[in-house]
Amino acid sequence: MTKQGTAGWLLHDVKNRGITAWIVAALLTGFYIALYFTEAFARIARAVGLSNKWDLYGALYTIAVVAGGIHVIRKYAHNRYQVIRTVVVMIVQITLGFSIPQLLKVLRQPEYYFSYLWPLKLDYFNPGYLFSLPLPYILYSFAGSLLLVPILGLFFGKRWYCSWICGCGGLANTFGEPWRHLSDKSTAAWRFEKVAIHSVLIVTLALTGLLFASYGAGKRYPELQQATIQFQTFYGLIVSSVLAGIVGVGLYPLGGTRVWCRFFCPMAALLGLVQKAGRYRIAVKENMCISCGMCSKYCEMGIDVRAYAQANESFTRASCVGCGLCAEVCPRGVLRLENVRGAAPQTQMLVQITNAPGGGAFPPARPN
Amino acid sequence: MRYVIVGNGVAGITAAFTLRARDLRAEITVVSGESDYFFSRTALMYAYLDRMTLRDLEPYEREVYDVQRITRRRAWVRSLDTAQHRLTLDDGSALSYDRLLIASGSSPRRADWPGLADAQQGVVTFVSLQDLAQCEALTPSTRRAVVVGGGLIGVELVECLVHHGVEVEFLVREPSYWPVALKPDEALLVEEEIRAHGVDLRMREEVARVKVDAAGRVAGIQSSTGRATECQMLGVCIGAQPNVAWLGGALDVGRGVRVTSDFRASAPDVWAAGDCAEIGRILEQIWYSAKRQGELAARSMLGDDIDYRPPLFYNSAKFFELEYTTVGEVASAPSGSREYFHRVPGPRASVRVVEHEGAVVGFNMLGSRWNHRVLEQWVRERRSLEAAVADLPRAQFDVEFGRVRVTA
Repeated sequence: MTKQGTAGWLLHDVKNRGITAWIVAALLTGFYIALYFTEAFARIARAVGLSNKWDLYGALYTIAVVAGGIHVIRKYAHNRYQVIRTVVVMIVQITLGFSIPQLLKVLRQPEYYFSYLWPLKLDYFNPGYLFSLPLPYILYSFAGSLLLVPILGLFFGKRWYCSWICGCGGLANTFGEPWRHLSDKSTAAWRFEKVAIHSVLIVTLALTGLLFASYGAGKRYPELQQATIQFQTFYGLIVSSVLAGIVGVGLYPLGGTRVWCRFFCPMAALLGLVQKAGRYRIAVKENMCISCGMCSKYCEMGIDVRAYAQANESFTRASCVGCGLCAEVCPRGVLRLENVRGAAPQTQMLVQITNAPGGGAFPPARPN
Repeated sequence: MRYVIVGNGVAGITAAFTLRARDLRAEITVVSGESDYFFSRTALMYAYLDRMTLRDLEPYEREVYDVQRITRRRAWVRSLDTAQHRLTLDDGSALSYDRLLIASGSSPRRADWPGLADAQQGVVTFVSLQDLAQCEALTPSTRRAVVVGGGLIGVELVECLVHHGVEVEFLVREPSYWPVALKPDEALLVEEEIRAHGVDLRMREEVARVKVDAAGRVAGIQSSTGRATECQMLGVCIGAQPNVAWLGGALDVGRGVRVTSDFRASAPDVWAAGDCAEIGRILEQIWYSAKRQGELAARSMLGDDIDYRPPLFYNSAKFFELEYTTVGEVASAPSGSREYFHRVPGPRASVRVVEHEGAVVGFNMLGSRWNHRVLEQWVRERRSLEAAVADLPRAQFDVEFGRVRVTA
């Protein structure tokens, strides 16, 4: 679309599924396949003085978050929510996501990532691994997943984790910034999302249950242990490698940055359920929306924010990660992220307007 | 019941959905010559800025019109026969109605500068999809543009041109920017913001003559101060007027289609709403009023008892990065008003609260976000200036951690 001007063809092409975008996607996907299924990076890691390929990956990941974060901070310098959030994301990645685990290794402690919690990190609730750790780590694992996740989720929504702490969200909101608008906004995508993400959550819960059962049963039931290991291997391949890595990051330039978070992440599924019951919401200023659609366009989770804004409905969607970009891009300041007591989930407005003629699909404007 | 709506803008489409929500069996047809699907006209600039595609401007998924059984007809309406209850379309066909809503909107006001009539290319307005297409087609061959008009559309067009690397000269007739809404000290902020983006903003200057090259394209202008300047695009953003010429003498037309407070026009079974409707000598021509009127006109068509009075005015805008919210009367406040004005040090922001006869009557807020509903409430409560100013933080709507300090 741009023929002349500040955007330039390359930038535009790479941001809008042009040939450059496909090349970048191929390179990213190739990188993940090589990382997961070959030892190509092990040599490079040793060459730069790191102990294994995962440390190299962690270093590259941290560099991507920091470089992207600096870009984001400059771009949204006028918006303090974005600046503070991005600084936190960068600090968490540098410390909890990289240097502290490295330091722990040097100190002959377990390489523990405090920024990852079950059910995102299955191992931290895998009794075989968990109970091999020193007690403080065991306590942190339980407290993190069973206390922090629900309590902070109820007060602040899932954003405290997905947009402030999590490394996956961190990469999406920094390095992934140029591609956030590529998320699919259709009702069909929303339907798929609801099925997919809750399916993964169920599988994750089932596997966790199985891990505990198998641990409890011990060596008396070798078949159960065998089956559990098979299940775990399968889960590791499909969920952790293919969905989180290859699809989740490799396809950034084609499908947007939150494909993993939106469709597959079990942690996001769990936090989404908590969020629906909690205080977080996106407040909509009444009758101020001009239906421009910038909010929907730049929603990385594919939420059709405009549908709520133009219908004057403050809302809480399970998938919303609270990145705050809808409020940032809104040219009329219609939207605001809030934590309020009694933030009611939205009604079924969207479902109705797309599924039934009439049917109260068009909520009347309130009288002035 | 056959409902026909002329115009698929926000007034027309809001009316269509409102009709469907209440009448499941009606036949509802929306006619538009401009576009197949309803789009957000206020977002036109974001398409030009490459932040959105044309499809992104559509507020509803396309299937919605099938689900809601709203028939879309792509045609310009040529004439209306109120006696026969019939419209004639530009393809020659006729369209009959039982009840008709005219929501044909408005179009840019034309200028009559000497030389303008000779320009076959390069003169643009910025209101319709066709305008956007024309602007986009002309942009690559434009090094320099002149935009005329100190309102909201003018600054939007200027912002788009600046984004595309075009050098822009912006001519405003008035001594300060948009004086119908902004006081001079506020206009100064807007002028600063516009100039900060490299725009050559010139106040108290108009076009005196348009120059055209051999191919018929705009080549430059001579301004009212006698200055000659070169340009390949000339943007004319000097206001809008209701689209009523097509009605001929079919209805009572003043500046717009004259309607009573229930949106009925002068002929039976005809209603009008939005930019094209004139209610008690008043034309309300903003997005919010069109949406409101579209819904109420539809309810009137359904038989509800509607007695519309324009509510307390509010509006919002954005000048480049500078956000603006207004409620009530500020620039139009009666003389003898008291006011509180504070220009926030640092960021480009200001607040103005106006009081008349002991009660606040209006707010002009630049550079920070406000919940207009709270401000409206204070006007209705007839709060004093001091009480309103003391409570300002409660009406702020800035992002978390980002509240602008608006009082000294």
